[in-house]
Amino acid sequence: MNSNLVDFISEKNIVMDLHAETRDDAIHQLALILEKNGSISNSEDFYKDVLYRESLTTTGIGNNIAIPHGKSKSVINSTMLFAKNSKLLDWNSLDGSKVNVIFLMAVPIESKGDEHLKMLAKLSGKLMDDEFVKSIKEAKTTEDILKIIRD
Amino acid sequence: MAKKMVAVTACIAGIAHTYMAAENLKKFAKKEGYDIKVETQGAMGVENRLSSSEIQDADVVIFAVDTTVQDSDRFDGKKILKVGTSEVVKDGKAAIDEAAKLVN
Repeated sequence: MNSNLVDFISEKNIVMDLHAETRDDAIHQLALILEKNGSISNSEDFYKDVLYRESLTTTGIGNNIAIPHGKSKSVINSTMLFAKNSKLLDWNSLDGSKVNVIFLMAVPIESKGDEHLKMLAKLSGKLMDDEFVKSIKEAKTTEDILKIIRD
Repeated sequence: MAKKMVAVTACIAGIAHTYMAAENLKKFAKKEGYDIKVETQGAMGVENRLSSSEIQDADVVIFAVDTTVQDSDRFDGKKILKVGTSEVVKDGKAAIDEAAKLVN
């Protein structure tokens, strides 16, 4: 594993105990964490950009998973946050399922072709892999998630 | 001989759906016994660009896009199934089946 990947997905990108009441609440709470992590400069701007993307089509891809994401000028470094929410949230998902597994992706507007973007693309592709999804949903700890994503 | 498919995927942000749709097309094409090559037009630019001979040899083309296909004139005269990326993410098998129908 290269150092980029270790830097890209570490403990601080994983939230196993999110307690959001709604989709918007979840995105807002996670935006604040990204701001605290130093990945974005302004959580309110980022929040609005992610909701804008959500307004175009849902990012609830089914199977209780959502991948809210935004290209935003508030993003300093491309990154992602993984979160498990304590309750199932309405997300207008493609299959009608509610969501408790969230991958929030943050990308700067002018970003192209960097390592982190490649990681996000690869991770997105992996979400079509039934085995990968199963292990993500069964994971109980931050370490479990790190291991699955880094493999 | 297995039917040959080529596809282009592209979504608005180019971050996630482009790549999910690509993987799902590959997954179900393989399951259904088709050859497929997928070009992604996303935030990383065009990857796995389809050559003119690959397009020429394809029985059918799938555009899984929410935006315009770059250099779409490469596909002039081909049978094309056009769907949205979300549809392909939701049901990759349906997209492959629809495309296969265009060939028969």
